[in-house]
Amino acid sequence: MRSRLLITGATAGIGLAMARRRAAGADLLLTGRQEHAAVRDRLPPGAAYVAADQSSPEAAAGAVRGALDRLGWDRLDLAVLNAGAGHALDPATESAQSIRVTLDVNLAAAIALAQTLLPFLENASGKLVLVGSTAHRGAPGFASYAASKAGLDGLARALREEWRGRVAVQIVHPGPTATGMHEKAGHDPGPIGRMFARPETTAARIEAAIASGRSPVTIPFARYAAADSLTTWMKR
Amino acid sequence: MKRALLTGGSNGLGRALADLLLQRGYQVVSVDRSGGAAQPAMLHVTCDLADRHAVDRTLPAILAAGPYELAIFNAGASATGRFEDIPLDACLRLLAVNAETPLVFATALMQAGAVERHLCFISSLSHFTGYPGAAVYAASKDVVAAYAKGVRKPFAAHGVSVTLACPGPIRTAQAERHAPPGADAARRMPPEQAARAILDATLGHRRLVIPGAGPKLFALAGWLFPAFVTRQMKRLIFDRLDEAVW
Ligand SMILES: NC(=O)c1ccc[n+]([C@@H]2O[C@H](COP(=O)([O-])OP(=O)(O)OC[C@H]3O[C@@H](n4cnc5c(N)ncnc54)[C@H](OP(=O)(O)O)[C@@H]3O)[C@@H](O)[C@H]2O)c1
Repeated sequence: MRSRLLITGATAGIGLAMARRRAAGADLLLTGRQEHAAVRDRLPPGAAYVAADQSSPEAAAGAVRGALDRLGWDRLDLAVLNAGAGHALDPATESAQSIRVTLDVNLAAAIALAQTLLPFLENASGKLVLVGSTAHRGAPGFASYAASKAGLDGLARALREEWRGRVAVQIVHPGPTATGMHEKAGHDPGPIGRMFARPETTAARIEAAIASGRSPVTIPFARYAAADSLTTWMKR
Repeated sequence: MKRALLTGGSNGLGRALADLLLQRGYQVVSVDRSGGAAQPAMLHVTCDLADRHAVDRTLPAILAAGPYELAIFNAGASATGRFEDIPLDACLRLLAVNAETPLVFATALMQAGAVERHLCFISSLSHFTGYPGAAVYAASKDVVAAYAKGVRKPFAAHGVSVTLACPGPIRTAQAERHAPPGADAARRMPPEQAARAILDATLGHRRLVIPGAGPKLFALAGWLFPAFVTRQMKRLIFDRLDEAVW
């Protein structure tokens, strides 16, 4: 039986790169903020899609649940909760609205989805993977974003133990990646942005982290280039 | 007169913090869901801190009652039990009280120039381990911890110090309600002792305070051996919880 995967936030960046890598070997359900018509052309052919705006956590989880039911899926082998967004700003000027949306999209929606998906994952002895960020230890330039990712880390540390033997739980913290997220966040990384990992590289690293079964896994910035050249060298 | 803003000042650790602040000559503005006993030099503001609209409605009055020398974000709730047994609505309320509202208060105070010197965020010792049996609570406390670390520098540029407090178990009614059956209350720290350590650290511009020697060792162990300590937490707490409480 082909494995069944859910990837949230798969309309761009890292999520889309992961979806493209997996499309040939698995049945995919992808999510994003936008309507299907707006994103259809870029998604891998054959992948199912549902719009699930995570700024309303409960509605987003409901939409995913509805899509699973329509597909007739009663099990999920892997759910990657990757959708995320944030704002780059001086935290002393951040609005209440920005804090709330950031926490809702990145954390509250993940909690709602984790509760919704548990029975599906359990049916397949599946795996829940949360996408955090190396910023989760705290970041002056994106304080609420970093805080939301810390929340995911705390959730993963607890759930990994609670669900041990039922559903495997992992959190992966990627480092800076050259996706549209920085621009959407109002952040200009400057020349250093050219050194950010490509989304395909980060997607491959996340897959390797998933396969390792470890948690938490951090994919630090400096390691991308180094790891790439090291593996090439080892294979010679 | 020196003024202090405190959330959740009517019970437990917050009550001890309020008493200590009053003793030290502060006028205290306490924000609570249910109000509290009237005391001279203490103003109670009633607000459900899990309710966004209530927070937005009440904030202007809270800012107007400043400026404050310090603000301590202490109000917090818990939810214990298996993650999937706690209704989503309760999870979201918990996130709001413990994580969202302190952040919203902090930026509102900073923007209004309503806090002059110190902010203190009360997180939890679980920040150094993991907390199976209180997954959403643990997540919310990690939010606050990472936020406090992140804003320390940018807020210092405005002359405001930020202290992160990670207390272990404290002898309060809340702890009693959420502890597994048979847990030993005597091993929880008296709230007065935790309050003293937290207030001193806040006034002393300290980055981090973990009241008590036992909790400090526990934090160190969690930092060194996170997976092992989290498994112990599972054995000690999660495996012994007999029902979900929120
Ligand atoms: N890029 C980095 O440097 C970096 C580093 C560490 C961690 N991460 C994390 O990696 C994940 C993917 O980020 P990325 O760099 O690939 O960003 P991206 O290119 O902006 O893609 C983010 C994805 O999440 C979706 N999304 C955003 N807000 C949403 C909402 N309210 N509801 C539903 N979906 C929403 C986006 O949909 P739209 O197409 O509609 O925007 C998009 O599909 C995020 O969790 C991010 O925090 C990124």
